[in-house]
Amino acid sequence: MAPEAIILAILWGALTLYLLFGGADFGVGIWEVNTALQSTERERNLLYKAIGPVWEANHVWLIFFLVCTHAAFPRAYAALGQALWVPLLIAIVGIVFRGAAYAFRANLLGQRTQRTIWEIVFAVASTVAPFFLGAAAGAVASGKLEFNDAGEYQGDILLGWISPLAIFTGFFTVGVCAFLSAVYLLRESVNQQHDDLVKVWRRRALVTGVIMGVLSLLGVAFLAFEPESFWSDFHERSLPLFGIGIASGFAALVALWYTWPLAATIAAASTVTCVIWGWGVAQYPFLLPPNLTIKNCKTSDSVLWAMLWSIAVGMVIVVPSLWWLLAIFKGAHHDASKKSSGY
Amino acid sequence: MTDVLLFAASTGLDQLWAARMQMALTLGVHIILACFGVGFPVLMLIAEGRYLRTGDAIWKTLARRWSKAFAVMFAVGAVSGTVLSFELGMLWPKFMGTFGAVIGLPFTLEGFAFFIEAIFAGIYFYGWDKLSPRVHLLTGLAIAVSGLASAWFVVTSNAWMNQPRGFDLINGVAVNIDPIAAMLNPATGAQTTHMIFAAYMVTGFSVAAFYAWERLRGRDMAYQRHAMALGLFLGMVFALPQFVVGDWAAKMVAQTQPVKLAAMEGQFQTEVSAPLRIGGWPNEETRRTEYALELPGMLSWLAYGDTNAKVDGLDEFPRDETPPVAVVHIAFQVMVGGGSYLAALTLWGIGCLVWKRHLPRQRLFLFALVAAGPIVVLALEAGWVVTEVGRQPWIVHGIMRTKDAVTHAPGMEKVFWITLAIYTLLTVMTIGILRLLARSPLEAAADGS
Repeated sequence: MAPEAIILAILWGALTLYLLFGGADFGVGIWEVNTALQSTERERNLLYKAIGPVWEANHVWLIFFLVCTHAAFPRAYAALGQALWVPLLIAIVGIVFRGAAYAFRANLLGQRTQRTIWEIVFAVASTVAPFFLGAAAGAVASGKLEFNDAGEYQGDILLGWISPLAIFTGFFTVGVCAFLSAVYLLRESVNQQHDDLVKVWRRRALVTGVIMGVLSLLGVAFLAFEPESFWSDFHERSLPLFGIGIASGFAALVALWYTWPLAATIAAASTVTCVIWGWGVAQYPFLLPPNLTIKNCKTSDSVLWAMLWSIAVGMVIVVPSLWWLLAIFKGAHHDASKKSSGY
Repeated sequence: MTDVLLFAASTGLDQLWAARMQMALTLGVHIILACFGVGFPVLMLIAEGRYLRTGDAIWKTLARRWSKAFAVMFAVGAVSGTVLSFELGMLWPKFMGTFGAVIGLPFTLEGFAFFIEAIFAGIYFYGWDKLSPRVHLLTGLAIAVSGLASAWFVVTSNAWMNQPRGFDLINGVAVNIDPIAAMLNPATGAQTTHMIFAAYMVTGFSVAAFYAWERLRGRDMAYQRHAMALGLFLGMVFALPQFVVGDWAAKMVAQTQPVKLAAMEGQFQTEVSAPLRIGGWPNEETRRTEYALELPGMLSWLAYGDTNAKVDGLDEFPRDETPPVAVVHIAFQVMVGGGSYLAALTLWGIGCLVWKRHLPRQRLFLFALVAAGPIVVLALEAGWVVTEVGRQPWIVHGIMRTKDAVTHAPGMEKVFWITLAIYTLLTVMTIGILRLLARSPLEAAADGS
């Protein structure tokens, strides 16, 4: 197998994990916006406590994605930086503010007003960042970014990224984050035996799940209007993933209805994974359709192999560590008896 | 938004200047946070280790409180680092497009090191009551080691910008890439060591300065003394060896980037038995460094080990290949001056330890130590200015000019001013939160999070 294809698969894996883990962290802030910050103190404690230990690790998937992209596909990275600098810039500002607001908020125990301000900042920034990251992804998927074969951006430097699909993907990403977050928080509430919060999150997860189901169908309709080749590839290659996605989406709703938190978590994660991979498989081998492929963007094989080896070695350390982190703080038996109030 | 950006584009401050200021600002803030990311885990570890060994609760309180301060700096540092990984592509697309792959390996490895640091930071911050003390200490060790590793990896790629190796450039495309040779370029050894030592010094002296200030203001208990001693200890360990490493780094610059050395030393004319200039103002009109204290032959000796050696001056190089001399020379003086101050402080501390078996207790020493806080940060920034501005006009020494790498995106100046406002706010907030943490009652931290 060509090394660039393996790297691409790893990149897509990192993107998936960023959405599954980091996306759920965004979701926490999105729920604060959705509820107009009306959560009770208990609800809010659950929110912030849930993301505390995994916050930094979840964020690193994004950094990992960025550095691997610029190392393996430098031309695509430079092209993205030029074409999508407006949405990415706004997303960065969002990421900076939510990261900082999260840390500030946790330590402003006495100062109610200041704490509230940073909670608002956190919530808004957590909604803005995934919207624009999603819009950037949608702009790529639309295939309407104009590059020449050298990877230089030819389109409108300010508005070229805007397309119906990009805007749709922005909203869709925000919805995915909110949905994942609601499902995970249902599981946290069950594990910690907060019966009232179980009710709240079950209802929220169900409602978001149904909305996202409808949006997904809309999304498929959208793709019908996108470039012909893209749609036909989607039709041929992504159909199995599309099928699994729909099935696990329904499974997630059923599991939520009966409050089976673990099953709901797995089914929700599987649905989201199918969406990401459905997109990836459909546009393979294009990185930035219509003309930048992994072949004409990749760097030399010596670098790709060096990267693959270092990723293999790195993962041997990272995967067990990450597993341990999740086992300590997200295992089914992390209990109510040892409540610590976060930090 | 569009209108704002278009307006900004039309006001036209130089694109290159705006992009460079943007990079300088975001990197200048990140470098401080990154230094604490490398150094702070060591302090927490020593404090926690002391607690496990002695059972003295003060050490445990210190370790827990420091871990909270570290958590704040780590969180802000993580996002300021993310900004940089976006900016590399957004501000310098030609640089990343051409050379992204050559320095891709250290960035990938740095990504992993940071990953491990983030995972174990989560376990460490939240695992005080969930893990056995010994295991908890080990998770702290993982943070310290991975922090060190990520600093090393990321600085290798900056060293590569000074000494590009491991590729051939054919028709503007980097081919025959050898990522290991790129990573282990001639500048790597000295530059990474110099930076890592600086990180420990920044952490140690800043912490010591804070507690020295507390003691001067009357909060002079065992807690503050322990904390100050530990910070000072870390700083002192590295302050003197840093001179040796700095000399190594300068000798490397003399060999590989003589034009940078000439700018650092304000050496306009090529000279045999060149003097070491302390202070002074390089005048680019008269091509002389004025008002400097000159030590005859010392520069030749420092750079080449021979007081009669020939040192190339700036006039040896084409005008469009020399960096802005005044900035580089003065930044270099500030860095060396700051380092000398810290070394003097260290000698005072060591002398007192040897003769009196305790650290200096004079108020004068405490005042001097308070000053060491800002001085060590200033020296850090100055050192970074030396290496970055000293490399100009190149982004990749001798190969790609900074002006050829910069983005054509409009409105960079506006973006810079907005960034400046955001970073100012965040800096003020971070300092405010750290002060708040330092002021919280000791007992609160002692009995739980």
